[in-house]
Amino acid sequence: MDSKSKKPRAFRGVTLQALTGQQAQLVEAIAGRIFPATDTPGAVEAGALFYIDRALAGAHKHLLPQYKRGLRALERRAKAKFGSPFLKLSAAQQDVLLSALKAGRIKELRSGEEFFEILRSHVLEGVFGEPSYGGNRDLIGWHLVGFPGQQYGYPDPYINRVVDLEPVAWDGPPKKPDEV
Amino acid sequence: MTTNIADICLVGVGAIGGILAKELASAGLKVVAFERGPAVKTEDYSPRDSIRFIARHDQLEWVRHEPTVFRTRTTEPGKLRYGTSPLNALGGALMHWTGQASRFMPGDFKIYSNEVATGLAERAKADLSEYDVVDWPIGYEDLEPYYERFEWEFGVSGAAGMNPFAGPRRRPYPLPPLRHSGKMELFAAACRRLDYHPFNGPAGILSQNYRPPPPFDTRIAERPACVYCGHCNHYGCHVQAKAATLYTVIPVALETGNLELKTNCKVSCVTTDDKGRATGVKYFDPDGQLREQRARVVILAAFVFDNVRLLLLSKTDRGSFRNGLANSSGLVGKCFFGHGDLRVYGLFDDIIINAFIGPGSAAMRIDDFNGNNFDHAGLGFIRGGTMGTSGDGAPISRMDVVPPGMRSWGREYKEYFMRYYTRTFDIHMAPETLPRRDNRVDLDPRRRDPWGLRLPRITFAFHQNETKMHRFLAKIAEGILREAGAGKVWTELPRPTPTRQCGGTRMGKEPGTSVVNEYCQTHDVPNLFIVGSSVFPTMSGYPATATIAALAYRAAEYITRQRDWFR
Repeated sequence: MDSKSKKPRAFRGVTLQALTGQQAQLVEAIAGRIFPATDTPGAVEAGALFYIDRALAGAHKHLLPQYKRGLRALERRAKAKFGSPFLKLSAAQQDVLLSALKAGRIKELRSGEEFFEILRSHVLEGVFGEPSYGGNRDLIGWHLVGFPGQQYGYPDPYINRVVDLEPVAWDGPPKKPDEV
Repeated sequence: MTTNIADICLVGVGAIGGILAKELASAGLKVVAFERGPAVKTEDYSPRDSIRFIARHDQLEWVRHEPTVFRTRTTEPGKLRYGTSPLNALGGALMHWTGQASRFMPGDFKIYSNEVATGLAERAKADLSEYDVVDWPIGYEDLEPYYERFEWEFGVSGAAGMNPFAGPRRRPYPLPPLRHSGKMELFAAACRRLDYHPFNGPAGILSQNYRPPPPFDTRIAERPACVYCGHCNHYGCHVQAKAATLYTVIPVALETGNLELKTNCKVSCVTTDDKGRATGVKYFDPDGQLREQRARVVILAAFVFDNVRLLLLSKTDRGSFRNGLANSSGLVGKCFFGHGDLRVYGLFDDIIINAFIGPGSAAMRIDDFNGNNFDHAGLGFIRGGTMGTSGDGAPISRMDVVPPGMRSWGREYKEYFMRYYTRTFDIHMAPETLPRRDNRVDLDPRRRDPWGLRLPRITFAFHQNETKMHRFLAKIAEGILREAGAGKVWTELPRPTPTRQCGGTRMGKEPGTSVVNEYCQTHDVPNLFIVGSSVFPTMSGYPATATIAALAYRAAEYITRQRDWFR
């Protein structure tokens, strides 16, 4: 599964920085179960995978081996338990495996609980983090929960009222309202 | 080698070091100040970036190589921990603090006299075996003028006279309270219906543009009012409304021309002579070269762990410092404590909270269950803690708030988070922890930092007085949230690691039972001072910042009066 090839790996039109195409597919499928699309978009649509891939090439580089081990173990368990790769399983079957991972009951993997918590945190960071890190596309995460993003400030306290501001994201130094 | 003898060697330029540097340099003393971290720039701390400052704790990026070792009992080897409070950079933890700027209450300084000696503890049926409860050598009245200087130099927003349990004050707060949020109004109304006494928690965040007026230090620059962005606790402030030494007292100290600032310089020990006096410090310069700075007075103003660590690392092979510097009492590192991080959460179906707006220290609080403000008869513990609304922030800082019994992922979690992100608020408490000698900081026998210095090792657990108090306070807070209209309410009991750490170089009158005197001067080494929360003999149901700032002003005044030391 671990590609030795040096040529850039593209996934959904984005060049992967840390994961192989196969690993990326698996992480995306997991993300889709941790924060699923319902009648609203979920982690797949928010591009959580791309947040994770970038993090594993940068700030969380040290976790890449743990990801590789964990994904391999999950794939082995999928085949052993259901006779199919993870990607081919039904959502319910995938959830069974993820529940087992969270409970530390994937026998192919030591400290599976820890890997699950890392996965969960990273998927949610990919949904709700600042889009400059690669996830939260179109500010999907912020729209979902009603968070208006990196506002300069709030002139109004919005006491018991829905905040009717469009979410904003910035990259670059903070600006005063009159400079925007 | 440098042959220049400074008047003052100051170790650590954070909250305390910033105040001391300004006060001492302004009095004409030549100060050489060491900060192990870098001089951060505005763009380093001001982004409203939750991945960076919440998910990745990048404010700790500057210190990742210096963890502490934590264990709950002596039989454990201990685990490395990185997420402890201090920030190793110029300006220290005030860069990212919440801003809770309460003074301690008068009774906080006299727990032994008021509660142990009078039999109140017995009436409470509190089991205080193994605890080491003492009085402070000073009282609230001794610190009052210095609390006032902190409030007026840094700009504290609050409402004097509103908290019936607060100590007397000569002046009001310099600024009115911060703007009310929805959760503050809900909390206050519920508390009033329950006959508690809600008040605006004093905040080290400007409610209006502010510059200290006379008779306070008018050299401190004007700063703008808070804009309620909500990216507050753990973030630096993008408008500099948050009280931090980096952009208030440190520039004033530098202006005097009497402060030489050595950033990225790591002090490794305090040097002493045969007469038992401190002679200066040894430090690693930014290139890792070991150097020496001599001084007439040495002040340790680092965080708890490093104040203790430096004393222990400065032990000598012969003479009176074989167990560590200033440790004739054997108490260096002992009686370490901190608050339990106790939280109660409530979900609201009919009310929109929008808890992400505004700073966490824009809070309504009650002290009805703090200190000795309530009848403890039969409760099984003494003391208590303040409680109030908190800062909640961006979704990244809320994604782990999941009611017990709910799966933390999948459809159910998604629907819960979408519905309740704007409809949740928590009450945070600051339950006091009583000192014990078995809760302590020492040196790890094996693990070292990149300079080869042994890491500080913390041995700490909450014991009977704390665990009973935590449960009692949680019930009160749950009752407030229900009264406020919350549907689902639950408690998160503290993890074993304490927050807002204090103690380890306790202050007292007697050299046999304490490390420093009331001016933070060590009993054993007259020209060595230790300033910071490490000197607290007991804690309080309040955060430490205002009190450590007051101690710093008072210690600085004492040092500058000793003219003959610096001739």
